[in-house]
Amino acid sequence: MSIPSDDDYAPHVSPTIYFDRAHNIEAAKILPGEYYVTQRDMVIVTVLGSCISACIRDRRSGIGGMNHFMLPGDDTDVTSQSARYGAFAMEILINKLMSMGAQRRNLEVKVFGGGQVLRGFTTTTVGEHNAEFVLQYLKTEGLAIVAQDLLDIYPRKVYYFPKTGRALVKKLRSVHNNTIIEREREYEHRLLSTQIEGAVELF
Amino acid sequence: MARKILAVDDSASIRQMVSFTLKSAGHVVVEAVDGADGIAKARAAQFDLILTDQNMPNTDGLTLIKTLRALPEYRATPILMLTTESSEEMKTQGRSAGATGWLVKPFNPAKLLEVLGKVFR
Repeated sequence: MSIPSDDDYAPHVSPTIYFDRAHNIEAAKILPGEYYVTQRDMVIVTVLGSCISACIRDRRSGIGGMNHFMLPGDDTDVTSQSARYGAFAMEILINKLMSMGAQRRNLEVKVFGGGQVLRGFTTTTVGEHNAEFVLQYLKTEGLAIVAQDLLDIYPRKVYYFPKTGRALVKKLRSVHNNTIIEREREYEHRLLSTQIEGAVELF
Repeated sequence: MARKILAVDDSASIRQMVSFTLKSAGHVVVEAVDGADGIAKARAAQFDLILTDQNMPNTDGLTLIKTLRALPEYRATPILMLTTESSEEMKTQGRSAGATGWLVKPFNPAKLLEVLGKVFR
């Protein structure tokens, strides 16, 4: 496992682009802690356990994107580290969309994930906290949720087409390995082993 | 000592967090929803410190700083950037525009108050 760098908690742009034969379209696959934004006609794909993906697009221009994040703890008080990190993960995506030309007033949001998936034979409320956070965040921001599929006990595979806003969600009732859980655990470890705060510089 | 602070951010969640932190320390906080709103509020009343985001609709943080620095009443007022932007290029632009300091999100409430203490010293 790599040693976390100073800002290892910061969301990264997904580097994984491929051609999705099933949908006959260019695709970006995002992993926990990553995001992707595009103005092209493509699909963004992720697999969620207890993490959350917010799929956000400008309904007029079709510029859109998706993130994949979790909170680093279950304390969601207004200035808790979890709430600050969650707001940061959401803002990174929204800022990137706006820098590409999306207008905040045109944004529409779909949210998925927060599953109460089995982790080493014990269930946790991690997914529930993540889901509660994103709903409260979007309410505070006044951003319209046009679709959601949260909680439940299954991992989900999400396909999001930002150009049209279409989202396909497949609940994975049986998984053949632990990859989803392991990736989320590795991400959680990264968050918990890093000081989650930005640099300060006085000029 | 209680100070009058203008918090400018298009994210209501961030404004809420910043206001909560500053009010808990006894400061008076006025919120602005973007750069244009921030400039209007700064013109309408004098603030002891301005804390602003960079990426906002209408007017961004750098433009807000340049606009306010041109006004005699804000020539020497501390203006801090609180932003997701962490590149050296952006920081250099902020410094040239007249920013007093650069804080990268997510912010640590204790560290924010520590910075304010240094700025007001």
